[in-house]
Amino acid sequence: MKESARLKEIRSRMAPGAITLHGFLGTDRRSLQEIIAEDEALFARLGLSRESIAARMRELADQGGSGLGEPVAVPPHFEVRVDSERGKLPCPFGDKGGIRKTVVTVLNKRLGRSLSYSELGLHMLEAHGFLEGRGSPFRLEPAELAEILEIGAGK
Amino acid sequence: MGTLGAFLIAVGAISAIAAILAAALMIADATIGDYGEVKLSINGGERELAARGGQSLLSTLKEEGIFIPSACGGRGSCGLCKLKIESGAGEISPTESPWLDEAERAAGIRLSCQVKVKRDMVLRIPQELFSIRQYETRVLSIRDLTYDIKEVTLGLVDPPEMDIVAGKFVQFVAPAYGNSPDPVYRAYSIASSPSRKSEIQLEIRLVPEGICTTYVFTRLKAGDKVTINGPYGDFYLRDGERDIVFIAGGSGMAPIRSMLLDMAEKGIDRKATYFFGARAMRDLFLVDEMRELERRLPNFRFVPALSSPAPEDDWKGEKGIVTEVLDRHFDSLAGHEAYLCGSPGMIDASIKTLKGKGMPEDRIFYDKFA
Repeated sequence: MKESARLKEIRSRMAPGAITLHGFLGTDRRSLQEIIAEDEALFARLGLSRESIAARMRELADQGGSGLGEPVAVPPHFEVRVDSERGKLPCPFGDKGGIRKTVVTVLNKRLGRSLSYSELGLHMLEAHGFLEGRGSPFRLEPAELAEILEIGAGK
Repeated sequence: MGTLGAFLIAVGAISAIAAILAAALMIADATIGDYGEVKLSINGGERELAARGGQSLLSTLKEEGIFIPSACGGRGSCGLCKLKIESGAGEISPTESPWLDEAERAAGIRLSCQVKVKRDMVLRIPQELFSIRQYETRVLSIRDLTYDIKEVTLGLVDPPEMDIVAGKFVQFVAPAYGNSPDPVYRAYSIASSPSRKSEIQLEIRLVPEGICTTYVFTRLKAGDKVTINGPYGDFYLRDGERDIVFIAGGSGMAPIRSMLLDMAEKGIDRKATYFFGARAMRDLFLVDEMRELERRLPNFRFVPALSSPAPEDDWKGEKGIVTEVLDRHFDSLAGHEAYLCGSPGMIDASIKTLKGKGMPEDRIFYDKFA
């Protein structure tokens, strides 16, 4: 009973307009636990864990941060740009403190493909294993993460 | 009687029960939720308020004309509205506990939006917050400074004037709209001169997925009513004779512009260099105004720096990220003081560079909402 009240509160913070304009759930009708569990299973199928993906994303964000908004070359063939705005956002899971409004864009020059993630999105992956619901503007697909960031079995 | 009669009796019984429950809820709301009049003793009895209990402390104080900074409008999601409550606050609620560390709990610090006023309270409010007011304004004009920064000029209606110190910020209230069901509060530095008491200018940059900035960029128009409150902050030009380094990027231009306009009007001609970082020409703005300020303040120099000028920009000025340009300009900054406004990354990098040039940390000033 207590858990479901907490989940209800988290869901309300993830709704459009509560923290961000379009929220964190997109058009996904699955429960939070289902979204997290199914992404965890997708990671496992790719031979990855959320920790290993998050560690790679954190490493790239840290390297890109030195460019102050300019792309930074990261070997062997990545270009990372970190854009930040003033102000902070709360974590919808109710974690302590505010999280900076930062967006990391990673370009894989070998593939010619890029992806973007926010500091809040990275925090939610690190702390809660949450990659946002399908249709959310910052939803990240595990397979896309593995491919563009070149991590996983055999990489 | 038959089946229809039984059905009607059942419907009638359910309706009667629902009516009784609704009445009970109304009575409960009017009695259990009514805490009567409570007394708020502020700052050791310097100010005593009598208020009706039942609302959050943040709302109660707001009704009494005391504005506590809050970026989320009292939803317990920004952690800015902390106050020291010496007695009467009750237990820390689960919604505020994530925002309070051990030292704050021990000191009686609480989130005023999550503390319900139920009984007499003794609390402390920083003196500077008593000068903060809510203002009803009207949009006088909106102009594009760049493709993603707008200058919004607000005329103050009620009260009609604001006492401003250059460098301070206000909170802009974006009303409920579209997918955003509740008003949101966002902080923006004042860009205009403090001498313009009846209007203020804000420089607002579009933030991806931003509730307030999307409202400003897609809905706000001249003539609209806007509620703001303020002014807030401890970012202002310190008195003294030291040489000044200003560093800003993007909408961080706003408080520095306000300081420079104030300096020009007051004839404060301290030696000052303003490094403004942008990517390309399309990100630069107010350059003509800065050149005019160079003429009015003979010891002021504006140094725009482009990190990635486009070929068509034909840029002859400084190139590189703003901290590299700063690094090239000075061997030592031990005798200077600095004022920074921009992205958190730029502020962190600037502080590192300034300290590396010998500037003591207590002479580096930046606004805390970054």
